[in-house]
Amino acid sequence: MGLDDDSKFITIGENIHTTRVVRRKGKLVNERSNGDEAVRYLDVNKKRRYLVIPEKIKQTQDYQEGRVKHITIAIQSAMSGQGSEADEGMKYLCSLAHRQINAGADFLDLNVDEISVKPEEQQTAMQWIVQTIQSISTVPLSIDSSGIDTLKVGLETSSNHQGRVLLNSASLERLDALDLVRQHDTQVIVTAAGEAGMPQNSDERVANASQIVENALAKGISIGDIFIDPLVFPISVDAEFGNHCLDAIRVLRQRYGNEINITGGFSNVSFGLPSRRLINDVFINLAVDAGADSGIIDPVTSKIQNVLNIDQGSRPYQLAKEMLLGSDLYCKNFLRAYRKGELQMQKQVKGEE
Amino acid sequence: MPEITDVENEFIREEIEEYLEQPNEIERAINTFSQISSAMQEIAAALIDGDHHTVDQLTSTALEEGTDALEIMDDGLIAGMSIVGIKFRENFIFVPEVLACARAMKAGMAYIEPILSASGIEPVGTVVMGTVKGDLHDIGKNLCIMMLRGAGFVVHDLSVDTSEDEFIDAVEEYDADLLGMSALLTTTMPNMGKTIEAFIDADLRDDVKIMVGGAPVTQEFADDMGADGYGKDAVECVELSKRLLAEDDEEF
Repeated sequence: MGLDDDSKFITIGENIHTTRVVRRKGKLVNERSNGDEAVRYLDVNKKRRYLVIPEKIKQTQDYQEGRVKHITIAIQSAMSGQGSEADEGMKYLCSLAHRQINAGADFLDLNVDEISVKPEEQQTAMQWIVQTIQSISTVPLSIDSSGIDTLKVGLETSSNHQGRVLLNSASLERLDALDLVRQHDTQVIVTAAGEAGMPQNSDERVANASQIVENALAKGISIGDIFIDPLVFPISVDAEFGNHCLDAIRVLRQRYGNEINITGGFSNVSFGLPSRRLINDVFINLAVDAGADSGIIDPVTSKIQNVLNIDQGSRPYQLAKEMLLGSDLYCKNFLRAYRKGELQMQKQVKGEE
Repeated sequence: MPEITDVENEFIREEIEEYLEQPNEIERAINTFSQISSAMQEIAAALIDGDHHTVDQLTSTALEEGTDALEIMDDGLIAGMSIVGIKFRENFIFVPEVLACARAMKAGMAYIEPILSASGIEPVGTVVMGTVKGDLHDIGKNLCIMMLRGAGFVVHDLSVDTSEDEFIDAVEEYDADLLGMSALLTTTMPNMGKTIEAFIDADLRDDVKIMVGGAPVTQEFADDMGADGYGKDAVECVELSKRLLAEDDEEF
């Protein structure tokens, strides 16, 4: 199928999410001359700045195992509300928002679930992040939480000023989220999760997604406000997981026509594998070919124009595609090529076809 | 003390030299592999290579030739898997490759298990696994189950959205040594703590070791909620299970 010339891929920028990590050994984490360890970034004026990793974070297991939860650090620092630390946290978040918008994000997804296990603290953080990002964003927000009360706080705090907000997400196990959608006049992501479990194949995805879509339509939500997420599972776990998602996209597009939106957290597909960006980008292409017109993605690394213009004839693309379509059991060929250094995509020269 | 050159099998020698970095692990591996028969080294090598056909064939041949089932399990399969675990932990190999090794392990265990149970030898351990109430995520939990079964554990899978009572009933019914709980959401993670409390209230807490895992779970949370252990991935889950069982043996 693919995108028509006049239809646009809707990018839901996923980067403001408290689970996100950078590697301590990676290039972005530097030791400063005063001994502070900090995450390097460019602010909105392209000036290099440093988000200092607080002592408290260094006690956590994530940090000790080499993962720096930079979004959590920025939110916690900024929310503390005082001094240069708070200022730096705020600048960091602004920079993240701007970079995603500049890269073409149509929504900024906000998820603060991992800020705390306490629902009250999650809700306070949601309220704060919505106010903060809304005041600097030129695109609408996508309010994302696994807790319905946190979603509610997010929607109550947000406005449809920059365009209508997106709720992420409703499903058969969480039908009451659809009432929030009506109440706040938002758009909504509906997932293919079942009432009692995750879908095991494409048929269950289609059945669950159809049922939640019918529920949404019955509540008076218009079809163009619905984004279906068929649920993307890692190809490292089962060679058929890619097809489960892609087949469901094809059937759902056929069933609901062009008005409905079909999206997905496509980067899940590469969990447990190296060269994740290549895998993600190839999967986005396959999903678009199947009928998806949106993605919950990192717009900075997977800038959609570049993703859709990727060289589909290249060997790395073909290897990833074969793996994603289920014909590379245990990802053997893909990993062999990875080890031989054969997965590097040639940089496309501007102006060249 | 044995040297690397005392390990007869070339494939295993190379694996140790290429992938093992910690001195104590190198020493342990050399000790293990220098003492086991060449047939067992071959089984371990095929397992590390994720080659289930060869593991199947070599296990069958070894049994026909009169090798003890326990020896094949310990010296061939488990010894091989220990190298796989280290390679995964150090990011030399990836999830699908670990799964291929687990499949190879399973191919060997298919011969070993009936023999062990017929001769009255208990399985390595019995584990009840489930995702907690309100949570439908099961991919990580299923990986753990595959790895545990590969390592010779009997696993009863309670699937997702498991209530406290369902966990308690299953641990009772199967007389499980271990309970593993999984959660992927911060909103459902507290249900692990609630389940542990339900075990205390039912006066069953001392009868089972409880381990927890899932993306938002950390050692700190595990300690706070009173779990016996935390594993960050499927390979750690197996190591943790073995460790908790060993602790259990010491206590009784």
